[in-house]
Amino acid sequence: MASKYIPPLNFSPVISTEVSLYRSGYPMPINYSFIQDQLHLKTVVYVGDKSDISEEYSNFLQSQDIQFLYIPMDSCRDSGINKGIDTVLQTVLDVDNYPMLIHSNKGKHRVGIIVGIIRKILQGWSIASIYQEYGLFSGGLKDEADLEFITMFVSHLEVFKDKMPEFVRIQ
Amino acid sequence: MAAQTERNSPKLPEVLEDIIVANDQSENNKRIGHIPTNSGSDTDGNDEEDDDEEDHIYINEETESGREKILISHAPQERIVPPLNFCPVERYLYRSGQPSPVNFPFLLNLNLKTIIWLANEEPQDTLLEFCDTYNISLQFAAINPDGGEDDNPWDGLTEHSIINALQTIVDKKNYPLLVCCGMGRHRTGTVIGCLRRIMGWNLASVSEEYRRFTGSRGGRILVELLIEAFDTKMVQIARDDAPAWLVTALNG
Repeated sequence: MASKYIPPLNFSPVISTEVSLYRSGYPMPINYSFIQDQLHLKTVVYVGDKSDISEEYSNFLQSQDIQFLYIPMDSCRDSGINKGIDTVLQTVLDVDNYPMLIHSNKGKHRVGIIVGIIRKILQGWSIASIYQEYGLFSGGLKDEADLEFITMFVSHLEVFKDKMPEFVRIQ
Repeated sequence: MAAQTERNSPKLPEVLEDIIVANDQSENNKRIGHIPTNSGSDTDGNDEEDDDEEDHIYINEETESGREKILISHAPQERIVPPLNFCPVERYLYRSGQPSPVNFPFLLNLNLKTIIWLANEEPQDTLLEFCDTYNISLQFAAINPDGGEDDNPWDGLTEHSIINALQTIVDKKNYPLLVCCGMGRHRTGTVIGCLRRIMGWNLASVSEEYRRFTGSRGGRILVELLIEAFDTKMVQIARDDAPAWLVTALNG
């Protein structure tokens, strides 16, 4: 069979149960057929520093009827970053938004922070395993500030129980 | 933290049965709060909550509007530990290194039906017992069934064992499914790499995924050659029995 699918850089499922949540770097035109045929996304969340999205990308998202949420994020040191992350969590906590892709530019650090916080707050993973996963995608480079940020992060969100995906462990 | 157990068995009034507790790790702050729901006129009725803003635990009565709200703040009290190199691959399909007892509570959350163990030697007794207790079918996909005593743990998988594992993976009746080997690196990476080729991924992306899990010493060129040379037609896929994501990939 011809190799026709090129997933985005650092692509991986994060949750693959009753809902699908994916992570990756910035999707490029060579990745569009994969996203279109394989993922059937409803929502894309971009955490990053590029406030202008290319016409190509925006056309693609529109043609696929994908809702796009942009969370400006330079690093975990940004002032007011907790609010942006809460918005991402709010989106993640609504089953109506799936399938969902969260991407940054390279799919390493910024997405790593978001996924780490999902693993901690929503799933209750141990901190050591969160660090390990962060390292898988950052190529072994561990940004201590990112890991500290994940460890200390506390949210304060109210969400509807009936919209909450099953993977969330609340006890 | 010593007080955890006690705080875990709250004495709740009967009226609060069937309610949801959003728990956390902070101490001495179990309170009952009524969070306004979307019933509109209620939105200003939460003055009494202002004093409790620092609290992280809310117990919500189901209101007449029928929509409960839950407060998300800290991590759940009981932490779970995934096996080394754990990662989802596709819906209800996972990969990892060998699970040990510390990972069992995590594995229970996955509701596994099958574990594929990619090695000649038996996994630890604790894993065998775990599979036995929870009715998980443990499949051995031997590296080299004819290797006998000469078999080395660093030998690659044979084509036969790759196909064997993939035949299990392409059948949805075996799901949820975990593919694992000692470290979750090379043998697991070989099988998942061949699966990605069946799904039509280009080779560079397959290698990127394989190398992600190989640790500081990086990928093995022999594994990548094995994946590249793998004849995807050797795996018999019955579309009626295949997981939906695989059917989608094959139709693309």
